[in-house]
Amino acid sequence: MLNKIKTSIYCYSFLMTAAFLLTTLTGCEADESQNLEERNFRLVWSDEFDGEAGTLPNPENWTYDIGTGNNGWGNAELQYYTDNPSNVSLDGNGNLLITARRESFGGQPFTSARIKTEGLFEQTYGRFEARLKAPVGPGVWPAFWLLGNNCAEEPWPQCGEIDVMELRGQAPNKIAGSLHGPGYNAGRAITTEFSLENEGRFDTDFRVFAIEWSEDKVDYFVDDFLYQRIEREDVPGEWVYDHPFFMILNVAIGGNYVGFPTSETPLPQSMVIDYVRVFAAE
Amino acid sequence: MQFNSIYQLLSVLLIIGGLSFGCERDLEDLEPAEFPTNGDVFIDGFTGGMEYAAFGGSKVTAFDVDTEIKYEGTTSMRFAVPDFEDPEGAYAGGTFFLTSGRNLSGYTALTFWARATRSATIDEIGFGNDLGENRYVTSVAGGIQVNTNWQKYYIPIPDPSKLTSERGMLFYAEGPEDGEGYTFWIDQVQFEDLGTIAGPEGFIFNGEDRVVTSEGGSSFNADGYTVFNLPTGIDQRINTAPAYFNYVSSNPEVATVSESGIVSVIGGGEAVITATIGDEAAKGSLTITSTGQATTPQQAAPTPTYEADDVISIYSNAYEDEPVDFYNGFWEFSTTLNDFTEVQGNDVIRYFDLNFVGIQFTSPTIDVSEMTHFRIDIWTPSETAPPADFKVLLVDLGSDNAFGGNDDSSHELTFTSPTLVSEQWVTLEIPLSDFTGLTGQENLAQIVLSGSPSIVFVDNMLFYAGENDPGPGDDAPTVAAPTPSVPAANVISLFSDAYTDVGVDTWRTEWSMADFTDVEVAGNPTKRYSNLEFVGVETTGANLIDATDMTHIRLDVWTPDATTFRIKIVDFGADGEFDGGDDTEHEIIFEAPSQNQWITYDIPLSDFTGLTNQDNLAQFIFSAVPVGATTVWIDNVFLRN
Repeated sequence: MLNKIKTSIYCYSFLMTAAFLLTTLTGCEADESQNLEERNFRLVWSDEFDGEAGTLPNPENWTYDIGTGNNGWGNAELQYYTDNPSNVSLDGNGNLLITARRESFGGQPFTSARIKTEGLFEQTYGRFEARLKAPVGPGVWPAFWLLGNNCAEEPWPQCGEIDVMELRGQAPNKIAGSLHGPGYNAGRAITTEFSLENEGRFDTDFRVFAIEWSEDKVDYFVDDFLYQRIEREDVPGEWVYDHPFFMILNVAIGGNYVGFPTSETPLPQSMVIDYVRVFAAE
Repeated sequence: MQFNSIYQLLSVLLIIGGLSFGCERDLEDLEPAEFPTNGDVFIDGFTGGMEYAAFGGSKVTAFDVDTEIKYEGTTSMRFAVPDFEDPEGAYAGGTFFLTSGRNLSGYTALTFWARATRSATIDEIGFGNDLGENRYVTSVAGGIQVNTNWQKYYIPIPDPSKLTSERGMLFYAEGPEDGEGYTFWIDQVQFEDLGTIAGPEGFIFNGEDRVVTSEGGSSFNADGYTVFNLPTGIDQRINTAPAYFNYVSSNPEVATVSESGIVSVIGGGEAVITATIGDEAAKGSLTITSTGQATTPQQAAPTPTYEADDVISIYSNAYEDEPVDFYNGFWEFSTTLNDFTEVQGNDVIRYFDLNFVGIQFTSPTIDVSEMTHFRIDIWTPSETAPPADFKVLLVDLGSDNAFGGNDDSSHELTFTSPTLVSEQWVTLEIPLSDFTGLTGQENLAQIVLSGSPSIVFVDNMLFYAGENDPGPGDDAPTVAAPTPSVPAANVISLFSDAYTDVGVDTWRTEWSMADFTDVEVAGNPTKRYSNLEFVGVETTGANLIDATDMTHIRLDVWTPDATTFRIKIVDFGADGEFDGGDDTEHEIIFEAPSQNQWITYDIPLSDFTGLTNQDNLAQFIFSAVPVGATTVWIDNVFLRN
């Protein structure tokens, strides 16, 4: 299957704001579009998450991080990751659910799941996208991200990390895309937030989160609206994005990035993923 | 209070704006005049046409405008919550409403900023209270938590499309926190169109799919609530007026449902009641299987004739009912369902599938200490021959006015045939004194009905003060204690007109904790102890009583308020002196003594098992609960055989 991604698709929130201003101040017409360079992509890998409800996702595509990692996966996260279908399973309607629950397990007060393509599918450059709805609430931290496949030999952040999207659940209308590398990671990562402002939230509708990654830049998209471009020369340290990366989907609870959940955090809650697709440049 | 009147000016400006900014305009686009769409409630002062009304019983001066403390701009709204027992009002509460409606259908939420002088929960806050129908009244379930920092609050509109002419802009009610008054401020109150609120999810019948078997004439309440996810990511339950829901009956021939959520069963068959909120289906439903014609009373229950001043009504058309939390608590293990129906124009409650049902009134609890009787009219089509029974349980929360705390009291009475009769109204007028275990009557909170008839119609559930029955308030005996008839030869009397008394040192020892007076009751000398904790009566020295030949101690007691009465007898032993290692004693405890009537205690001395000697009786000690707060009359104290 050959899949061409259209460019120059107009934006959402910016358009709304602009339209409002234009209407109010001057006239009745408004249009705004982004003109990006032409590029063609070919679909090379995908998981549409079709299958029977309650079953684990395709083991040829996904493997699991289990437990609490080292210090809550380096972030003081509070959940215990499992490969239990109550935390990760297909919904029978073509979606994958990663479900965070308030339940004691393995010494942690929450359970959830973190799945990855490590060792199963890894690629250098291309377009990586997922169509999903995010869970929300104080302390809920869903993410779709990529990690270099050489972290065993070149410990993080030297192996590189590309965050396609992550969301702090206490701000359901805002996501961030980031690049973590040597000298610019954790709190000093290169990051841009994308907010729907007053026009919506990331839990109510499916949206497509994507990066387009090439030799000299990473572009970040929400519904094909480019909200961040990080070029090789923008990085205040070494550019460590010229080797294969694998994908990760997870829902963390608590941790340094998002803060603590509260008794009012709505749980259980799921990240609902319609598909994950990877393209290579033609 | 002076309100600005810039409202007309604003609307004029808006019209002009519309004209000058429009690109093209077609006469066909013109619609009938609509209500203004201004969303501001209080920014730096009120928009015009705003009125404020304090709620009844509240401190009317609680609200004012503050120019010192504000979130933004020049002024905020300040609310001074009174202390407990403030003579000017028990709480702060009121509503801000417009004299003419606003079209709020373009907004999603009422928002404001608030802070307070302390952490507190503002009990009630919302909009849609227009001092009229309150058709779309909306509030935050459980109130809002405020603290000393400014915070933004959101009250989502359950279905904005309904609010095309709303007058209720903001209402609130808040009482003292832990008895203490405090101050809170609200600023930047406005209706906003926010895309950052998710929901709502609607719920009727508490989100449950309920199934009932019913009959024509029954009705059910289908009110519900909504849940939104706020811009902070948390779920918020919103008290949602029934008019926001769009109710549907799957079979209007069997059951209809009104806009206000009242389901009425009108025919035989099956009907399912569901609802939508906005475009989304609400969770919960009621499936009704109606058998059609109901077996119902043909006549109304007898109308009570007590003076209204003598009645505290829980459910009756004849009187104004007290606030009742619910007539059916749907408690765990209760199978009971109910509906409200009419018999000859008289409202009655029909309980069916009855095993037990709780009726609760905790806001506030009810003081029935001035009342003498509980009345209830019941009608059942069910079998009432033995072993059928019907039970009435009353529950009082005690002085802490809260469930638990070891001071709750209750008593259940059982009624059977011939009192119970099928297919006839049975009026039970039960003296409260029959509820002997109900030691408290000032904080009555629950009536629990139970029994074997599966269907019971209930009417005229009330408490009344009977004319001839002296209530606990009439706290003195009006008749003398009954004159004892034991032959004098069989008696050693300490105090009685009927016998010659032996010597008694004192009827109140120095160490007693009670007030004592000799009084006459209907001409009969009687001992009266008040503020009684305990009182000692002594017969020492020459007055020591040798009761070896006696088998019983007898005395008459009258109390309006004792919930426990105790009698202790002390024998000084062989040395005839206090202490010395040979004293013996025993105390008998009577729980829940009958109040406001003479009680004759005739107690075998053998019951005083610790009293191993009885040849040198020296002390008789009476005590009572509530400690130090009881009054007791005592007469005819003697030993007999």
